[in-house]
Amino acid sequence: MTAFRQLITAVTVSGLLACSAGENNVERGNREGILYFGNGTEPQTIDPHVLTGSPEGNLASALFEPLIARNPYTLEIEPGVAERWEFNADRSVITFYLNPEARWSNGDPVTAQDFVWSWQRALNPKIGNQVADVVFYHIRNAEAYHLGRIDDPDAIGVQALDAHTLRVALEYSNPFALLKFTYVYLAPVHRATIEAHGAPTDRFSPWTRPVNFVGNGPFTLDEWKMQRFVKVKRNPYYWDRDNVALNGIVFRPIESSTTEEKMFRSGQLHTALNPPNSKIPDYRAQSETPLVEGPFMGIYYYMMNMEHPPLDNGRVRRAMALSIDRETLARSVLQDTVTAWSSYVPFGMPDYEHTHILDFDPEAARRLLAEAGYPGGAGFPALTLKYNTAENHRSVAIAVQQMWKQHLNIDVQIANEEWRVYLDSLDQHNYDIARMGWVADIYPGSFLDTMISTGGTNRTGFANAEYDRIILEDLRATPDKDAQMQLYQRAERIFLEETPLIPIYAYKTKRLVQPSLQGMPANAGDMLNYKYVVLDADAPAWKWQTPADNRQAAN
Amino acid sequence: MTTEVITDIAQAEQGTSLWQDAWVRLKKNRLAVCGLIVLLIMVMTALLTPWIAPYAFDAQNLDLGATPPSAAHWLGTDIFGRDMLTQILYGGRISLAVGFIATTVALLIGVTWGAIAGYVGGRVDAVMMRLVDILYALPFMIFIVLLMVVFGRNMLLLFLAIGAVEWLTMARIMRGQVQSLRQQEFVEAAISLGLPTSTIIRRHLVPNALGPIIVYTTLTIPGVMLLEAFLSFLGLGVQPPQTSWGLLISYGADTMEEYPWLLIYPGLTLTVTLFSLNFLGDGLRDALDVRGSRD
Repeated sequence: MTAFRQLITAVTVSGLLACSAGENNVERGNREGILYFGNGTEPQTIDPHVLTGSPEGNLASALFEPLIARNPYTLEIEPGVAERWEFNADRSVITFYLNPEARWSNGDPVTAQDFVWSWQRALNPKIGNQVADVVFYHIRNAEAYHLGRIDDPDAIGVQALDAHTLRVALEYSNPFALLKFTYVYLAPVHRATIEAHGAPTDRFSPWTRPVNFVGNGPFTLDEWKMQRFVKVKRNPYYWDRDNVALNGIVFRPIESSTTEEKMFRSGQLHTALNPPNSKIPDYRAQSETPLVEGPFMGIYYYMMNMEHPPLDNGRVRRAMALSIDRETLARSVLQDTVTAWSSYVPFGMPDYEHTHILDFDPEAARRLLAEAGYPGGAGFPALTLKYNTAENHRSVAIAVQQMWKQHLNIDVQIANEEWRVYLDSLDQHNYDIARMGWVADIYPGSFLDTMISTGGTNRTGFANAEYDRIILEDLRATPDKDAQMQLYQRAERIFLEETPLIPIYAYKTKRLVQPSLQGMPANAGDMLNYKYVVLDADAPAWKWQTPADNRQAAN
Repeated sequence: MTTEVITDIAQAEQGTSLWQDAWVRLKKNRLAVCGLIVLLIMVMTALLTPWIAPYAFDAQNLDLGATPPSAAHWLGTDIFGRDMLTQILYGGRISLAVGFIATTVALLIGVTWGAIAGYVGGRVDAVMMRLVDILYALPFMIFIVLLMVVFGRNMLLLFLAIGAVEWLTMARIMRGQVQSLRQQEFVEAAISLGLPTSTIIRRHLVPNALGPIIVYTTLTIPGVMLLEAFLSFLGLGVQPPQTSWGLLISYGADTMEEYPWLLIYPGLTLTVTLFSLNFLGDGLRDALDVRGSRD
């Protein structure tokens, strides 16, 4: 009896000790192969044909696999569902040969018919795919079907030759065409599952619930607790399962970047994608910093509504663009977490020569404003600068507001709106000046193509016949890459001369990554590939070093 | 000798009003007097800010950035290199205005509504209080957002909108007080003397219910100031470069580890104001509470 009681006491005490030793998420995750991922906001959906935001994209990339994958270190393309592909002679048709081992998470094979059905679904106007113009329009008749000009989905240039051969006809030959097949927006979805839980074109239906879900990615949906976490586990049927190191990922929705950073520091997260700017200098000063930085293809800008006077005057727009001291802004307000950038195609675009006609020049700005009829800012109408509610946007707006006041002596009001209201205002052109960003890929077209006069994301009223002709005709008739680059540079110059928007800065990756986590490098596409992610089982969680620790280390 | 006695009697017969009594009692309460003085100084500073502030309120110095307190900037600067003291001074104008105007609006509506409902009673009371219940049940944010959408962004309107939402609790407290007071003899005496209802409410009921009302008021003012910060954050209240204490605190809290002075000084200012308000409120309640006094 006494022995029994002692045993109980011993077990209880050791249990308590184990608890108080306090293994945190990072250490437990390292041991169990579970990645704890700080993912911004609660994902609205995981449906690759409905999603647009990056939290949704981060999650969907684990659950679905498109035809082609990309190496996160080099951004080079590598096999996804397709094990190889080939172009025809004039590069207008691509044939994809699917990996016969590719399986859905319920064991069904992934077939060419799955892709045909999925893309017809994605382009169906009823599902309201918001990025179709950017990711699908290179496929023949995709645009016509998406805009309702033709009703027959079979007219889209996608054909299943047999179960594992997919032929895609392109609208025009493009040296960068393959890149688009790497986006999660072009991933296949499981027809039987979707049809069992609603109409194929329902934007939201129960097929995305963990009990119903079927996907083809390296992971499959395990558990989804609203506002708490989304858990994914290994897909046992994934064709390349031997190269997947992780056993699962826990995506935590944490809206506040301050909170997320604190959780990272206390060992609750392996990675935080967006630490607050004010913390960056301290992280840089750490001797073994978990901060990963590097430029990627994204541009932050202020759109100007060319229908609202005085912004219908090109001199006014140019004057406002020239009076922003981007270098100071990037250095002081944003702690060098961005690259000051005055053109639309972002810093670091490979093989591309940038145009910098909008660099800071307050003298020229004042002269242009005077020529436009507002010498010294006199009589300049009150304009409002809108941004969507977020600390970073507010800081930039406050600094820019003061720069316009200082250099041009004009008063601009600032106003913020919640994201959905904001997008609605922009779609209705209900703004004077509004902040926006565009994150795309390592070819200039992913930026410049969107600014044609009919572009869905061109909400400025910019319409230039020569620009449209270069993008829609000249470029499509020019398959040579160098010649294309020349054309893009000409188009960008026209664009910047008209100044429908003011580029402010190019984005940089700034993520916190635990030392135990390998395979999430900064890359120009800001792209994740979970297949490459490896956790070191024995590594301890990273510890914040106080300046005293640093001194000791130095001694 | 005799004349002195006569003057004494004359004074005694003149008597002192409720308010004079209260003022005498309040003056004896040191904390309350301190609170009153601090508040008066705050209001004076707010009024004189454009002349006494050391810097222009929108003057930035991006190269300077966030610096701790120094000789040039007594309370330090924020990430835009703006002087914190100037920010607090200008923020005080907005915060004090919001606090006082919104609370006055709430006070006026709430006290009148509650007093009428409590005094008249019966069906009128039921209808009036059900209306309060309905307004309570409305999600408060949506109500304010709707008001702003309908009437646009306007500072004065913001004050009124907050006041128009904050009166509900005030009305309930007032109604409860009045219900218990109207059972008392002095009210019955007033009724039997034939005084009109409005006079009874004004002269007898409201002054006697002041205690809890004042305490609740001193609690409402800080609540309203923080509410303004919340609305401003959502884009409905003040917009940069204008600021308020609530906004300064909420942004200071984000960077409290790197730049603690951005949180500490606005926080201290708000705390001192709230303490002063509470001391003054406490003092006023004691001073106005006839039953609690010994004279």
